[in-house]
Amino acid sequence: MSAGSESRPVKFEAWRLGLLYIIIFFVFVGFVIRLFNLQILDGDLYRTRAVDNYTNEVSVPAPRGIIYDRNGYILARNLAAYNIVVTPANLPEDDSDIQRIYRELSELLGIAAGNFVSADTETDGLILEVPGGLMMEEVLEEAKLFAACVDGPSIAQMVALQDTLAPYSPVKVRCNVSEEIARVVEEKKMDWPGVSVEIEPIRDYPTGSLTAHLIGFLGPIPATQEEELRAKGFVPNRDKIGYAGVETSMQDILAGRNGLKVVQIDVAGQEIRNLEPPIAPVPGHNVYLTIDTRLQAAAEATMMEEVRFWNTYFGQVRISSGVIIAMNPKTGEILAMVSYPGYENNRLSRFIPAYYYEQLSQDPRRPLLNNAISAEYPPGSTFKLSTATGAFNEGVVDLNTVVLTPGQLLLCERFNPNDPCTDFNTRPFVDYIFEQRPEGFGSLSFLQCIAYSSNVCFYKLGGGFEDEIPQGLGIERLQQYARALGYDNTSGIELPGEQDGLIPDPQWKRINTGENWSTGDTYIASVGQGYVLATPLQVLMSGSTIANSGKLMQPTVIRQVTDGDGNVVEMWFNPQDFTVTEFPTQGSYQISPFTPNMKWDITVTPLIQGYSCDGPYCTLTDDLKIVEPETIAAVRAGTRRTVTDNSFGTLSRLFGDFPIAVAGKTGTAEYCDDVARAADRCNFGAWPTHSWTIAYAPFDDPEIAVVAFAYNGGEGASVAGPMVERVIRAYFEIKAADIAQGAPSP
Amino acid sequence: MIRGISWRNFDFILLGAVTLASAFGVVMIRSAIAGNEVLAVSASRQVYFALLGIVLIFILAAIDYRYWLALYRPIHLAILGFLVTLTGFGQTAFGAQRWFQVGVLFLQPTEFAKIVAIIILARYFESTRDHPRDLRWVIGAVLRAAWIIGLILLQPNLSNVMVLSVILGVMLFVNGIQIRHIMIAAGLGALALVTVITLSVLGIRIPFLQAYQQERIVNFVVPDPNDTYGNRYNVQQALIAVGAGGLLGEGYGYGTQTQLRFLKVRHTDFIFAASSEEFGLAGSLLIILMLGVIIWRCIRAAQKARDVAGSMLALGVATLIFFQGSVNIGMNLNVLPVSGLPLPFVSYGGSGLTALMICIGLVESVAMRQKELEF
Repeated sequence: MSAGSESRPVKFEAWRLGLLYIIIFFVFVGFVIRLFNLQILDGDLYRTRAVDNYTNEVSVPAPRGIIYDRNGYILARNLAAYNIVVTPANLPEDDSDIQRIYRELSELLGIAAGNFVSADTETDGLILEVPGGLMMEEVLEEAKLFAACVDGPSIAQMVALQDTLAPYSPVKVRCNVSEEIARVVEEKKMDWPGVSVEIEPIRDYPTGSLTAHLIGFLGPIPATQEEELRAKGFVPNRDKIGYAGVETSMQDILAGRNGLKVVQIDVAGQEIRNLEPPIAPVPGHNVYLTIDTRLQAAAEATMMEEVRFWNTYFGQVRISSGVIIAMNPKTGEILAMVSYPGYENNRLSRFIPAYYYEQLSQDPRRPLLNNAISAEYPPGSTFKLSTATGAFNEGVVDLNTVVLTPGQLLLCERFNPNDPCTDFNTRPFVDYIFEQRPEGFGSLSFLQCIAYSSNVCFYKLGGGFEDEIPQGLGIERLQQYARALGYDNTSGIELPGEQDGLIPDPQWKRINTGENWSTGDTYIASVGQGYVLATPLQVLMSGSTIANSGKLMQPTVIRQVTDGDGNVVEMWFNPQDFTVTEFPTQGSYQISPFTPNMKWDITVTPLIQGYSCDGPYCTLTDDLKIVEPETIAAVRAGTRRTVTDNSFGTLSRLFGDFPIAVAGKTGTAEYCDDVARAADRCNFGAWPTHSWTIAYAPFDDPEIAVVAFAYNGGEGASVAGPMVERVIRAYFEIKAADIAQGAPSP
Repeated sequence: MIRGISWRNFDFILLGAVTLASAFGVVMIRSAIAGNEVLAVSASRQVYFALLGIVLIFILAAIDYRYWLALYRPIHLAILGFLVTLTGFGQTAFGAQRWFQVGVLFLQPTEFAKIVAIIILARYFESTRDHPRDLRWVIGAVLRAAWIIGLILLQPNLSNVMVLSVILGVMLFVNGIQIRHIMIAAGLGALALVTVITLSVLGIRIPFLQAYQQERIVNFVVPDPNDTYGNRYNVQQALIAVGAGGLLGEGYGYGTQTQLRFLKVRHTDFIFAASSEEFGLAGSLLIILMLGVIIWRCIRAAQKARDVAGSMLALGVATLIFFQGSVNIGMNLNVLPVSGLPLPFVSYGGSGLTALMICIGLVESVAMRQKELEF
């Protein structure tokens, strides 16, 4: 080639090229050092970070246990709710296809499909490329203001937002659709790639408000418990926990344990494979209650009917709340528990609607409160069972004693033993019969005192009266006997929110009111008034203890617990910290398989702390004693006479002709609370009254004890009594039906 | 014209290193696609460009490079036409006009403009070989390069402006620029750099620089430690990929950062990180070694060239490969700010690979016509 003929070799300065080589050398050596640092020295650190990048722990929800009644009737179950979801990554490539899907979905679901903009739209913000077309950034931002399942944003907005967050995770565009819509979407699967049906379990309560106070409802994990529950594998915002009733107390075993998958994900969040063998979720245990839904329904109907009747009769809301509890006194099984007013727990199952919760929590009748265990009322004359037991056991009275019961007693109100008795501090203590028969019942035996529920008799037994009964039972000893019958403490039943009631003593009064205990306080405490407060369940327990000849059974609503395969498992419940365990703990009692748990037998366990009394001054002694079986027998006989004595027996009209021997005690408890005061009902001598009745049957071998309570119901025998009668009747009818069908009696 | 060409001095080591690097690139691109359907064709396209490139090397080696020096006017006009049109009609990608669509091909005229610049400078230094190394000589060289640099700056494409500036600087340096002129240039350069960094950190916009470019500088100079998913994401993921590779790597096709797509733009800008993850330190050293051999053979050709033009062609190519390679690796190792410069021969890119192959063809042409006496 001609161009190469003339060669003029180049001579550069050597140091200049040398410097170039040196620079190249040092740059490359620098890279090698850097690589050595990154890959060899810090290799483990970066490997860990790489593992963190692709490792994702996925919690697999465990199905919640089912709640049955004692006969296997379902009270709480899990139903499928259908959500229509869109997975952005699975949508078709073509924008017009996506827009078609949006339009068709919009027509089916009744939500906006959403609009797209063209590329040359005038806007201050950014125009983003989203599935289906272009969208202004501000429109996308709008969708961030809405929580899932809340109507508002269009399909295009929701999908576009999800596409920026996690394109491989589905976004719910419509929640809780009907099964038909879910089927349509399933059928269109081929035409609508990316659209699918998500099945979400929601809690369903077939018996609804009938058992709402017992079963309770579910709610989201509160922030205060988030850390603790997260450690147990719960996922906030997804998993729910019990907010009331058995759903709360049995939360530990109903919830089961969530499974765990450790999966490899790519940058878009798509699951590639399991990194570790997945831990399968453990389904929650199933819980069988002691409740008989039929008796529960009968009790609820009874309560509703009674409330309706009296409220209609008086033309105003007279009975604002009420309770019926039925229990087997020998086993402690609660067969029915009705607290009026109630609420519909199905309305709270998916999420808790603010308006409904507001309505419930602002209702002065407190429908969310289980009045059977969470409300305290003066027990009135039903408390006389405690006074009677104490007075008889302490020898204040015996079967041969005759007590004079005029229509009223004029007694001195003494705050100190040496207070003089003047006109000024003398006040009348009236018997309820005073208005009809000012002369009173006359001379009564101990059994008649119980049967007629004579206040005057019990004033004398409790507080003593002159020379007739020189030494009454006294408040200290009354407290001992009341406690032995189940008062003044929580029962430990498997329901949250239980109150402990109040049996006062002089020290309590000094601390809480700043006043000395007065003689009058003892008198009215002896008839279950004054400072005495009790929950309906406590009243039932006291009656059951008498019915069961002194054995106080642990009240329970749990009959048994089964695992996912239906095998009965052993479980213990600890009422102190509300835990359910597979082994006994300090203070726990067995709930599965069913075993009657006796709290104590007052004729065996020495529970009664002795007091030595010198006049009105009583001091504690260390010796403990039992309640003599004869005492229980005498009190039982008194409760039976309540039914059998046709002259003044308070339950004789209700149960006199009853085919089965019933025994019981009524109560008409005077009260004056804020509600009554506001309604101007608190008038001295004509106080508003709660209506109580406790009864059990059959008398010889009791298998059912029922308490009924009506707030502001009036006389015990005429309002609460009929309710008890109907529930006991229903119980024996159901039992007869069961036996007729060949079922073994429970 | 081909007849009588002696292939005795054809540099087979250079050809081997280039072929090896391109093959390695194809292999890594195949892995880096990682199931991305849009990119699925990249590996085979890269193979075609590599094969085309090797053919080009032989053709260009056969042609005496001095023809290109003589033809500089038409080449000049062609590339000028391309660049000017580009500023008007080019495809915008990430805020810069760099692409030129011809049918299905996206051409990047900038890649070819760099060759043109090298040829123009080579011709200048050949024609001024006996001139005194005064300021006039320096300014002459700067002016020859300035118009191409200016057009690239208008795109704007800061990285390639720097590539050309470095090539110009190296050529001036080797051709004997006076030390005091170096000092002045270094002073001006340092001043410009400090100004750019200061203004960027203070958030003041600079003409000719895009906002994202200034952001990159800020991110590099003062990284925000909380900014894991923001602008530093790519660099962080690249560091994780490199570090996770260890000594021998996670295995071809098994790098989790690459295969699960945590590493972004892994077939172009971050292909070094992808190969570091899958082949470990061994793979990284292999890439550096291949680049080192290619650069060494180019400088060797420059030293043996029979005239200044040939020498400058080879040296320009060596500088181009060294600078682009270093900036890319430095970015992958987070010792240099993020720029769009690909890893020579390895990164995906038809125009880039073809242009580099043309460069190697020119170097081979120089090597074949070296100054040793032929018998």
